[in-house]
Amino acid sequence: MQGDDMDMPDTPPSRNGASPTSSPEPIQRRRIPPSPPRNLPERPKELHYRQKLILRGHRGGVSCVKFSPNGRWIASCSADATIKIWDALTGNHEHTLEGHLAGINTISWSPDSRILASGSDDKTIRLWHVSTGKPHPTPFLGHHNTIFSLAISPHGNILVSGSYDEAVFLWDIRSAHPMRSLPAHSDPVGGVDFIRDGTLIVSCSSDGLIRIWDTATGQCLRTIVHEDNPAVTSVRFSPNGKFICAWTLDGAIRLWEYGVGRCVKTYQGHVNKKYSLSGAFGTYSAMSSPPEVRREEDDAMDTEVEGLENVTPIARQSSPSTHKYAFIASGSEDGAIVLWDVSSKEILQRAEGHDGVVLAVDTHPTEPWIVSGGIDRTVRVWRLESSPPGGSEKGKEDIVEKHDVDMVDGIKMEE
Amino acid sequence: MNLSLVDPFILAQDCPDTLTGRLRSGHATSIRFSHRGDLLASGRLDGTVVIFDIETNGIARKLRGHTRQVQSLSWSADDRYLLSASQDWKCVLWDLQDGSRIRTVRFEAPPFIAELHPKNHLLFVVALFEEQPMLVDITDENPIKHTLPSAPRRTQAEKDNATEKQAAQDAKQTSTVTAFTPSGDHIVAGTNKGWLNIIETASRQTMYSVRLTPNIVILIRLTAAGRDMVVNSSDRIIRTVPLPDLTDPNIDFENMRLEVEHKFQDLVNRLSWNHVSFSSTGEYVTASTWMNHDIYVWERGHGSLVKILEGPKEELGAVEWHPHRPFVCAVGVDSGRVYLWSIQTPQRWSALAPDFVEVEENVEYVEKEDEFDIQPIEEIHKRRLEDEDEDVDVLTIEPIKGVAPAQAALEAEGAFRMPVLLDIENSDSEDEVVAIGTGQFRRKSPATGREWMNEEVVGSGDDRKTATTNGTGRPNGTKRRRGE
Repeated sequence: MQGDDMDMPDTPPSRNGASPTSSPEPIQRRRIPPSPPRNLPERPKELHYRQKLILRGHRGGVSCVKFSPNGRWIASCSADATIKIWDALTGNHEHTLEGHLAGINTISWSPDSRILASGSDDKTIRLWHVSTGKPHPTPFLGHHNTIFSLAISPHGNILVSGSYDEAVFLWDIRSAHPMRSLPAHSDPVGGVDFIRDGTLIVSCSSDGLIRIWDTATGQCLRTIVHEDNPAVTSVRFSPNGKFICAWTLDGAIRLWEYGVGRCVKTYQGHVNKKYSLSGAFGTYSAMSSPPEVRREEDDAMDTEVEGLENVTPIARQSSPSTHKYAFIASGSEDGAIVLWDVSSKEILQRAEGHDGVVLAVDTHPTEPWIVSGGIDRTVRVWRLESSPPGGSEKGKEDIVEKHDVDMVDGIKMEE
Repeated sequence: MNLSLVDPFILAQDCPDTLTGRLRSGHATSIRFSHRGDLLASGRLDGTVVIFDIETNGIARKLRGHTRQVQSLSWSADDRYLLSASQDWKCVLWDLQDGSRIRTVRFEAPPFIAELHPKNHLLFVVALFEEQPMLVDITDENPIKHTLPSAPRRTQAEKDNATEKQAAQDAKQTSTVTAFTPSGDHIVAGTNKGWLNIIETASRQTMYSVRLTPNIVILIRLTAAGRDMVVNSSDRIIRTVPLPDLTDPNIDFENMRLEVEHKFQDLVNRLSWNHVSFSSTGEYVTASTWMNHDIYVWERGHGSLVKILEGPKEELGAVEWHPHRPFVCAVGVDSGRVYLWSIQTPQRWSALAPDFVEVEENVEYVEKEDEFDIQPIEEIHKRRLEDEDEDVDVLTIEPIKGVAPAQAALEAEGAFRMPVLLDIENSDSEDEVVAIGTGQFRRKSPATGREWMNEEVVGSGDDRKTATTNGTGRPNGTKRRRGE
């Protein structure tokens, strides 16, 4: 990916470049045929993710959920100052990570799925050994306020954090020392993310700016701002690293081509006025059929008994000829999970289930699974079905509710 | 992926200019970049090998096993294995997956330099002090050592006319430096009489010899492409020599002639050079100077001195150039610190404010026809959304342009990456200073963390035999290779 876009204009757009009437002629951008050849089955107009697991146990709103990069686990963090690790396939509760003194806002997995980083209202970042459930002894101290967002670099050696203190910190994960602090924003930093090769960092803030930083030098390379200047609460790089997806409090998600600083898509249809929602990119194809999914689940069951070292990616691509389309999944303040097709901006599905705001949504690295966490203290796992549910009665039947150990033993019941 | 956003003017610069950082862990003596360029291995005076992470400037791993100064380091092609040669007369092959010692090979003399075969990490070549160099096969637990010749290749006529004196001299030659060509098919060796031998790896025969210098050859480095060689000799001259394509199966060693392309020297100060290296492309040659604080950088096009890197107030030893960035590392001889030079990029202010553009000169602004027309907000919003009709591809990962295939293979998914260890700093009991709080440091007691020294040395049977004879004697003379 290095070296491309060199032919693009290097300068940011002029003052009024974003206004529709004065915008320059659209640059020819269709180097890759974006739509599939005609002989492929038509792109599905809707998706049918169904609620399969409800994971209960958190005693506060669930602020962030993440699938592990190897696909085996779900980590969820909550305002109750705990993190819970669940088995992504069965929904069994594996560990509860306790140690933070205040609510946890954000979590991030290391690329090898062995370590989980968490950022909390107690101004610290902690690392956790997932296999043992034990915290790493040294917390990351340096931020002066609540930590809102963090991300681990693809090489697993750098951690970036964004905080209410308006700074972005880069940390050496091995030594837990800050490497660099970026004088990032003039308002709390809501989201940070690494690009897939780790050379760029994106940060966003409620001052309405999205800034792109060079990881190696710590310099700001680009600033993106929408004309209306809405507060940006969350950002994510696209899987190929060419776009940035940004959640704003004007009820929109925007896709930016950051190389030229241009908004290419605006996704609307969810409610987002108050909360810092987050979401993820996912893929779908016209050929996904349930039997196939079922079989892959069985494979996963087999690998589950082996040690962590031997786990292979659960799913292989079902067929090389399958054309993949991309969707964006996000929570909504009306309790739904909304999926948009990236190119057409059409809503593919509104998945209802949560009671109240859905704060976090993440997609499985290989399977057509989605996990969500909401203010209703639950974590829910959704899986793709080939057709819409026949009757509402049947639909309800196969939802499995799982509780963490505390709940089952009845030692600490939910108040 | 940051390149599309970086100032092209900065990208065009290919020679570092400013001291930008320093790394420290014990007293480093030798350094070597990994092929991917994200790690720097450093061998210390106390025998420990420290792996630095260049992205964080932190310590990524420590490898303990040698008891004396580390002479040289060599990475395998996939950056998983590291070969270290030490003055404790041993070479160790490390697996960076878990930091274990795969093989330990003991020699009957201290090694000058050991280098792994570029395609086989279980084969290496080593130049030994006052011994013949060896090609060592460590496929098996018991290493197989093949002695390589150091005597120059003589034609039949020369052999017939050879005097007894000359034959004796030839026999007395030893190689002071050995290096593989990038294909691994040949070994380039330099001798203590200034000869350069090209030895075929498979047959272990000298194919070609030439006398480049009247003095000792101190160091030979080849570019990644293998078509250029830089030779440091104790006659205070650095020579660059273009090599023919040694991978060509029809190469004619009989009629081959190696010509010196450039001779770099300082005629005024008569400086001698500690260590030399090529830049990533071979365009530049860098050298650290004896009894001097500077690093000289020559470009090879015209053979001119282009830069002198300054900064540290001490003599510099080993100097290394990053495999693909304008980035130079050098080791301070007195302090053992690793100094880093690179390009300092100024912050572009236009990057901070999207409304601003940096222009060369005043630009007259031409207002567009409808630029300040007042339109209903809803109308603008609607039109804006309608304009977003293009297809976007957020999934396809475009291949990296302008990157060598070998480099791309290292960056590919599934390529080996050293695991990130969290407790490096805490286990770092050999560093003399430990942090006990913000800004507070204290010295550590010297005895802690030396338990590994009592470990039994893993080695082959014949290695054990020699262990008794060389276990006590400190190898002498190995450090003095630059003087003469």
